[in-house]
Amino acid sequence: GKNEYDLLVIGGGSGGLACAKEAAQFGRKVAVLDYVEPSPQGATWGLGGTCVNVGCIPKKLMHQAALLGSALKDAQHYGWNISQPVHHTWSVMAQAVQNYVKSLNWGHRVQLQEKKVKYFNIKGSFSDPHTVRGLTKAGKETVVTADNIVIATGGRPKYPMHVAGALEYGITSDDLFWLKESPGKTLTGASPDVSLECAGFLTGIGLDTTVMMRSIPLRGFDQASHIPKKKQISLITQQQMAALVTEHMESYGTKFLKRCFPTKVEKLKSNRLQVTWKNADLDTEETDSFDTVMWAVGRAPDTKTLNLETIGVKTNSETGKIIVDAGEATSVPHIYAIGDITEGRPELTPTAIAAGKLLAQRLFSQSSELMDYDNVPTTVFTPLEYGCVGLSEEAAVQRHGSDNIEVYHAYYKPLEFTVAERDATQCYMKMVCLREREQRILGLHFIGPNAGEVIQGFALGIKCGATYPQMMKTVGIHPTCAEEVTKLHITKRSGLDATVTGC
Amino acid sequence: MAQRLALQRLLSLPARGPLAYHGRAFGISAGRRSTFNVQDGSDFQDRVVNSPKPVVVDFHAQWCGPCKILGPRLEKLVAKLEGKVLMAKVDIDDHTDLAIEYEVGAVPTVLAMKNGDVVDKFVGIKDEDQLEAFLKKLIGA
Repeated sequence: GKNEYDLLVIGGGSGGLACAKEAAQFGRKVAVLDYVEPSPQGATWGLGGTCVNVGCIPKKLMHQAALLGSALKDAQHYGWNISQPVHHTWSVMAQAVQNYVKSLNWGHRVQLQEKKVKYFNIKGSFSDPHTVRGLTKAGKETVVTADNIVIATGGRPKYPMHVAGALEYGITSDDLFWLKESPGKTLTGASPDVSLECAGFLTGIGLDTTVMMRSIPLRGFDQASHIPKKKQISLITQQQMAALVTEHMESYGTKFLKRCFPTKVEKLKSNRLQVTWKNADLDTEETDSFDTVMWAVGRAPDTKTLNLETIGVKTNSETGKIIVDAGEATSVPHIYAIGDITEGRPELTPTAIAAGKLLAQRLFSQSSELMDYDNVPTTVFTPLEYGCVGLSEEAAVQRHGSDNIEVYHAYYKPLEFTVAERDATQCYMKMVCLREREQRILGLHFIGPNAGEVIQGFALGIKCGATYPQMMKTVGIHPTCAEEVTKLHITKRSGLDATVTGC
Repeated sequence: MAQRLALQRLLSLPARGPLAYHGRAFGISAGRRSTFNVQDGSDFQDRVVNSPKPVVVDFHAQWCGPCKILGPRLEKLVAKLEGKVLMAKVDIDDHTDLAIEYEVGAVPTVLAMKNGDVVDKFVGIKDEDQLEAFLKKLIGA
């Protein structure tokens, strides 16, 4: 018989919703399945996916809460009478953030309704290549058939299963943003941007926070060796930037346990958690107690219950992510995948949304435009933010050879930091360019306040193939931090001191 | 007769909480009987759709600031009408499907329902005069 829907999207997150709504615009019959399996600690949430509920949105809002704390401290220098020390109440912030997230959940429901996309709150699994079935929370079975299916189920935080007590006593970012009470003294670890961003705002709101890391931070962002040579994604940054970000956090009170590996977590009678770890440098075992242990050891694709093996959708044996081609097609012709679930793609909302929209256009209108994953700008919202677009220095060296690239850099001081007597040691930027011919800009990296806002505009320039001479002809806006980008002239090669001053 | 007068007096008292009514449960429920929180779909069916009296349905959300102002304001005016109109409160996060079914977009959304049909509606906050007019129209006074 005929399939019930033209398009079925499994997963109501950034990618899934964008794809579904775009397809509906073409007058297609579209359905979305969304289901949130509660976290081991019981956290659950509504429609919208990771970004809305346990990612970008609550993270940025809590980052803002922490920044406001710093602003209050700076304010005194600017003449404001604010009694120090300033105190932060977690529950007030959490409720406000959680309420906003709930309003977004609602907004998404309304949008689906308005665009005539059918919504099912069920956990689906494939029973054949065109059929997905699932149970509602009440236990009612629903069967959905579709001509085309898009898998956009995203990922969930991993637990370090080799650490005793990790699952039982630890939480992840899935839980952190839904806590009603303060997490208190927190240990987080170990590698990617999540633990640094979270540790950053936890410290910023006044909590005793420790980051445990095996090696260099921002590992998920880094090291060209992990990335296939044919396609560098702009997520890659590098040790230098990661070190500056961490240095800043350290100077502001976040504790770092470097080259340490947790071995076990136990619960104390006081309800606190006793964590034991191995210090690789000193070859000792150390221990301390915390109120909260938040694991940030990477994310695993949410494919386990989809039943992909049965229908032949191939996944990467190491990562478990779904393998797709340039058109987001899986190994099964009419089944596609977008977003965090896909192998080799950035784990970012805007790329998932764009990929979803373009896919819908290719499927249901006359378009053949593929998603361009090159030069995707991104930002890590650590207390001192790091934004970048294009290649990291390492990636550029690997691709072109160090003789063929020029790296311009500068240490600068934001004007606002001066009166506030803030340390700007880690405020830094660098631009990686080709040395020859028109000196095309390959990558731009910026550490400083509002890094995301700064980099966004430059991403357009890089997309258009901007060159170093063009950048030098671009007049800066004064007084800003961003203007320093247009004035970059000291090369790493020269070995000169890269500290620049304003006027 | 006496009972109705007593009820009238109780209904016109400002809602101050249980203690204001000398701890008598009857006092509270009389005043509060005209407003209730919808428990689920079938509750909505029983008490709103199948209600012999007209019902104003207040779709609200915890995260909605204006809802916190409109709710009590509407409740007060409904109470003044001594049971001629009932008020059903629906938290859209708890009853999302119901809210979607009744085409709620923004909150607060208030529906006027008579014999199971939506006869009137408004979205957003309204002042007391506007609410009184809305309720009057519903009762047909």
